[in-house]
Amino acid sequence: MKTKLLLLTILLCSFKISTQEIKMSAQEIAKFKETVESQSKSIKTIKTDFVQIKHMDFLTKDIESSGKLNFKVPNTLSWQYTKPYQYSIIFKNNKVYINDQGKKSTVDAKSKIFEKINKLIVGSVSGNMFDDKEFDISYFKTKQHYIAKLIPKTAAIKKMIKQIDLYFPLKENTVSEVKLIESSGDYTKITFKNKILNAKIDDAVFTN
Amino acid sequence: MQKLMMRYLLISTFFCLFLSCKSYQIPDAVEVENTLPVVQNQYFSDASLDYVYKTHIEIYGNDMSGIFIVKRMNDSIHRMVLTTDFGNKLLDFEISKNTFKVNYVFDKLDKKIILNTLRDDFRTLLQVNNKVLKKYNRNNETIYRTENNQYYYIDLITNNLNKIIKTNKRKEKVIFTFNSKKTTFAENISIQHHNIKLKIEFNQIIN
Repeated sequence: MKTKLLLLTILLCSFKISTQEIKMSAQEIAKFKETVESQSKSIKTIKTDFVQIKHMDFLTKDIESSGKLNFKVPNTLSWQYTKPYQYSIIFKNNKVYINDQGKKSTVDAKSKIFEKINKLIVGSVSGNMFDDKEFDISYFKTKQHYIAKLIPKTAAIKKMIKQIDLYFPLKENTVSEVKLIESSGDYTKITFKNKILNAKIDDAVFTN
Repeated sequence: MQKLMMRYLLISTFFCLFLSCKSYQIPDAVEVENTLPVVQNQYFSDASLDYVYKTHIEIYGNDMSGIFIVKRMNDSIHRMVLTTDFGNKLLDFEISKNTFKVNYVFDKLDKKIILNTLRDDFRTLLQVNNKVLKKYNRNNETIYRTENNQYYYIDLITNNLNKIIKTNKRKEKVIFTFNSKKTTFAENISIQHHNIKLKIEFNQIIN
């Protein structure tokens, strides 16, 4: 019995260690940023599936949705939900095109706040958002990931989002997971799967 | 001529007074004796469920869409959240018959008139138990008048709540329509305002 308990404790402890976040050193940070930035410079397109989880403390279950994402430099982005319903949003030429289950609309996205949101989304996907003017950033690593934690400096963004966590798998230099944490602690977690860099993307993908 | 004018004015004033004093009446309905103390709206009554609906809001020609999430927290309080399709919160309220707590509201919606309208709508939508004041019959419907001049339309065959009409004593103000296969869940819900240009629709999300 005692051995079993001991084994379990060791197992639990080792699990804890593997997910434990260790602060990165200044040297590690510099190297990490350089790698991500140089990688993101080589990105022309991103094609990926995603799964989105909305967690709210008061709910019994998280709300899950999923879809496809296509990105083309510098800032053309199509975010398409296919489950549980069809909804797509395309950011292109300072405009936002929405297709809500067949109902189409266009929004002018020239406002400052929208520009920031756009930059944030594009940055989250490509990983290139180490903007010290916009965010207070701290860097951590676990056995699986590098994690960049961004705290917005703009009051308007801050009211909506308390913190953004970007997860980079150790062997990749692009984001695999984004966690948007609200001031209440509720969060939205987006996980990217089957990511392909620099594949040819048909322009039709960015047409509403 | 002046006399005629006076008479005309008098008549029209009288007529207007008479018309405006007329309280709201359900066409073809007959008042009957009521034995039910409380009429229930069970569409958001199960505390073990998370209710999730796709939402469309039409307000003065503007379209908004998002996700509406409701949970019954205890006997009196419902927590309700409206998010964009991306998942960003727009509203986060806790509502009971007598209380209203705003946990979060998106800046652009943070106006008293908007919050009060939404509070009143969601309070009617979510309130489970409603004290009955009067009962009416009409064809295959029973209609219960409750406090705050609200009318609950129950289908006699299915026993489903089909409609809630909120009146301002004289006229229909807001109509809540429920499309349901059973008494405990509505697949589609619409809230149509008659005095302002506001329509809210909820549709079940099928996985």
